[in-house]
Amino acid sequence: MPTPQETCVIGRGIRIDGRLTGDEDLIVEGHIEGTITLNNHLVIEETGTVVANVEAVELTIRGRLNGNIVARELISILAGAVVIGDIRAPRILIEDGARFKGNIEMDVPLPPGVQA
Amino acid sequence: MANTIIGSTIVIDGEITGNEPLVIQGTVKGRIALQESLFVENSGVVEADVTSENIEISGAVTGNIAASERVEIKSDGRMVGDIRSPRILIADGAHFKGHIDMDV
Repeated sequence: MPTPQETCVIGRGIRIDGRLTGDEDLIVEGHIEGTITLNNHLVIEETGTVVANVEAVELTIRGRLNGNIVARELISILAGAVVIGDIRAPRILIEDGARFKGNIEMDVPLPPGVQA
Repeated sequence: MANTIIGSTIVIDGEITGNEPLVIQGTVKGRIALQESLFVENSGVVEADVTSENIEISGAVTGNIAASERVEIKSDGRMVGDIRSPRILIADGAHFKGHIDMDV
């Protein structure tokens, strides 16, 4: 009998097609296609592939993600990650070794009088 | 290899396929096709047609299920739907409504 744990894990042998919503941390090692809406931290591990529009509080990507992302706090695209899509968050970090294609939107505080 | 756990606040609307054990504590609607064991725990709600090797139900399942080896409805399990499997166990206290086919 497997023991319950707090974090939800989608293992590497699992594929989900459809809509996923939730309030807890989610770790993706497998494949998800569709949409993800999470009121918490989403981690896409090295083996994880996600083709989806994603909404989360915080997002950490080590695997592949294809889709548009909105995070309320932070998006981390770490070394080894491949991300294609438009991303929006107050804080976004892209590590050396990560690959990314798309638009980034952060709120940029400009000096007064400077037009964006 | 870590088991896949669909936690209690997670809702999935769609299709889950895979070849590793799956534990459901949350809600899954749609279809589940697994080549391994499926555990629907106490808080788990499954509204789906399920095919799997083993299925162990402690939560609520509505839909038709087919298991190549074994289906067990535990004492707190609730299920409405048809079951097809060579071995089927229903524990004392379990609730079940539907058809059972054991290849007699």
